[in-house]
Amino acid sequence: MSALIESVRNAVGDTLFYYAVSPLAKILVLLFLIILPLISYLTFAERKILGYMQARLGPNRVGPWGLLQPIADVMKLLVKADSIPTRAVKWAFILAPCLVVGPALIIFSVIPLGPPAGGGGLSWFITDVNTGLLFIVALATVGVYGLIIGGWSSNNKFSLMGGLRSAAQMISYEVPQGLALVGPLLLAGSLSMVKIVEAQKADHTWYVFPQIVAFFIYFVAGVAESNRNPFDLPEAESELVAGYHTEYSGMRFALFFLGEYANMIVISAVATTVFLGGWLPPFPEYLPFLAVVPGPIWFFLKISVFLFTYIWFRGTFPRYRFDQLMELGWKWLLPLALANLAVTALVKLLLSEAPV
Amino acid sequence: MTQPLGLPYDDHDGLFAESEEMELNFGPQHPATHGVLRLKLKINGEKIVDTYPIIGYLHRGTEKLFELHPFFQNVPHTDRMDYVAAATNNQAYVGAVEKLLGLVVPPRARYIRMMLAELQRISSHLLWLATHAIDIGAMTPFFYTFRERERILDLFEEYCGARLTLNCMRPGGLPHDLPVGWTDRCRKLMDDFPAKLDEYEELLTNNRIWKKRTVGIGVLPPDVAIDYGITGPMLRGSGIRWDVRKALPYEAYDEVEFEVPIGQNGDTYDRYLVRMAEMRQSVRIILQCLDKLPDGPVMARRPRVLKAAKDSEVYHGIEGPKGEIGFYIVGDGTPNPYRCHVRPPSFINLQSLPELCKGALIADLVALIGTTDIVLGEVDR
Amino acid sequence: MSAIKRFFGKIMLLDLFAGLGLTFRHLFREKVTVQYPEERWEPAHRFRGMFRLDEDRCIKCTLCARDCPIDIIYIDFHQEVNPETGKKDKVLDRFDIDVQRCMFCGLCEEGCPTEPKSIWLTTKTYELASYDRWKNLYVDMDQLQEWKVRPAYTDDEIA
Repeated sequence: MSALIESVRNAVGDTLFYYAVSPLAKILVLLFLIILPLISYLTFAERKILGYMQARLGPNRVGPWGLLQPIADVMKLLVKADSIPTRAVKWAFILAPCLVVGPALIIFSVIPLGPPAGGGGLSWFITDVNTGLLFIVALATVGVYGLIIGGWSSNNKFSLMGGLRSAAQMISYEVPQGLALVGPLLLAGSLSMVKIVEAQKADHTWYVFPQIVAFFIYFVAGVAESNRNPFDLPEAESELVAGYHTEYSGMRFALFFLGEYANMIVISAVATTVFLGGWLPPFPEYLPFLAVVPGPIWFFLKISVFLFTYIWFRGTFPRYRFDQLMELGWKWLLPLALANLAVTALVKLLLSEAPV
Repeated sequence: MTQPLGLPYDDHDGLFAESEEMELNFGPQHPATHGVLRLKLKINGEKIVDTYPIIGYLHRGTEKLFELHPFFQNVPHTDRMDYVAAATNNQAYVGAVEKLLGLVVPPRARYIRMMLAELQRISSHLLWLATHAIDIGAMTPFFYTFRERERILDLFEEYCGARLTLNCMRPGGLPHDLPVGWTDRCRKLMDDFPAKLDEYEELLTNNRIWKKRTVGIGVLPPDVAIDYGITGPMLRGSGIRWDVRKALPYEAYDEVEFEVPIGQNGDTYDRYLVRMAEMRQSVRIILQCLDKLPDGPVMARRPRVLKAAKDSEVYHGIEGPKGEIGFYIVGDGTPNPYRCHVRPPSFINLQSLPELCKGALIADLVALIGTTDIVLGEVDR
Repeated sequence: MSAIKRFFGKIMLLDLFAGLGLTFRHLFREKVTVQYPEERWEPAHRFRGMFRLDEDRCIKCTLCARDCPIDIIYIDFHQEVNPETGKKDKVLDRFDIDVQRCMFCGLCEEGCPTEPKSIWLTTKTYELASYDRWKNLYVDMDQLQEWKVRPAYTDDEIA
């Protein structure tokens, strides 16, 4: 493997390798071969797990145990009639799904699935920006544009209302989400995702233990960010407005859906990296044999826990009304996040050896 | 709320165009209205200012159909009014016919009818819980309640052959006796059932999200409820202990012991608690019936052709799952009734919806439609 | 004391965890799906399905046609001298049922006076879907009798 990489590097030259060949190869492998199938099989896993929780089997006709169901869904959506409402703003209508899916997929470029490579070899992330966490939060905000533009351009007052509600919800919950992330940031000392995980390795503790409140706030705000139950009022079928994606059909609708599930995976991945130690195996001192399992497998297992929790919430809870949702975000999560930040900073100041 | 008595297709444009509020049509085709109910909402931002229900999309001329056939042939038509709770519809109709013709039902038939009606009450409340929960957002109680409802429908199927449109009672008694083993299966189901009710309560009753969505929503003051003529769990949720089974007992309800649960505040949460408690009381009634079931015939001795006396009339009301369902029958000396009017509880309970919606948000509207527990088959007949 | 417990439960979201626990336990319980068409749900003995007629037992009293609430049974018969017994017998010309409108209420079966009944609905047949409206849903006399694979009429035991 490293011999192959060496030969390619020698053939192409160093600059071209580091700036063109290596990122392309990593995008191909990580994004297209790992993340995109993960997103589509997440839809399948949701239907299956939700079915099992509801005393029924999920889809099990297409392929063995229904495993080819996402492929059947994609093919169905591709051949559906592609309709644009007559008086809709055409360019905005076409742009909106891209604005939802694009940022969600771009965020994956800074999320480390595994440890960085040593000498030769490719690392398990596409790039490691040294303001990685800020990059992620900023791109998540861009995703809100897609909803607003999608709802507005549909020429449908219900879609507009749904889109605005959804946007208000997402913007409100970004504040506690960002503040919750600052807590472990103080402990790690760096915004780079890889360095956060390495700081957890150096401290011999995952940041979920000292920052349990921040973990809880981040996850709840994350559920609200991705418009999932119990915060899915903007897209619930049984409410008055059918949501911002009412007028979309076919592949555009599929892109909105993929964007939502990609968002779920992004939030799970960020929570794993910042709070649960990314690719680190648990108890490295007491159970050293666990290190034989490669890093990406641990990462995948930890993401699965979060994704299962997303589906678990969907199967259990009723949904909040919109004003109760906003009240929860602004009146409860935000003060809690600020308090957590203050306490963390105070404790870190008191425990540090710097002269006061 | 004063609305002009316009034509059925009156658009009320003149009424609504002068105000600043937006008019919204919560159409007949909507996943949240249980059936084809159309609501014209006048909303001011998120708050509902006024509601105007428009019904009639499921009208089938049931009351006219009653006049065309003899008494015993009308029982299948009654199934299709409140199609969720067919046995109680049957019970109301055959009770009215028996009162009109002076038939005396044998005791075994009375007890079996009581059991069927209580089983139907449980099944109707399970469906109410399923749809109410899924409108508010919790989708799993739907599947759990339907799992139990399937077992009750299996019992009905073993008895009379159908699951939904039962046709299980006749004027004078019952068409057949219970099959072998029915009482054992019924007893087993009733023994298993309270544990399942505890499961639903675990999922919903103390859940803070459920409470936030239902406590204080749709408060119906008791005097307003009596003014509108509301009966059933909606009335009992407001604190008035009126149950036709206790006040004017029919069948054998005065021979079994049960309680009538009431609520305190008259909001959606109280109505939910009342219906859950009613299911438990129904289990109690059924177990007592199974213990006390007498032997004997199941059909009264009645003439070959049932003819009512000329100019005779009767009203007989029973406690259905949704309220008091009553039949007013006028006989005219022929085997067919001259006029048969139904008192549909859903229709009368629906009148309170504009009152409940005053000041509510749109998001509460689905909770309020769910709590009135309407079935459009009964509203429109 | 109980106030403290309630406050603690409220802070620690115990009510939400109870609900989560219930759905988690359901992951491992029995599933109620009937995988049609591999598994077929078998109706009860008294299930009111498709009709069957037995012409030999039928005494052509037309009580079933009279009892039908929607009048979908059409019976024609004529009188003929039976060569064996020399008496006048009724012979069935037409016994059609318009299944499109039938609501399977069972009043025709109840009206039939013969023992055992000549028309019955307890054939445990509920798969009546068809691509052609007139071919399968307006059944005549021969079709009603030809259902040899369907159960014959039997009384069930009374409890």
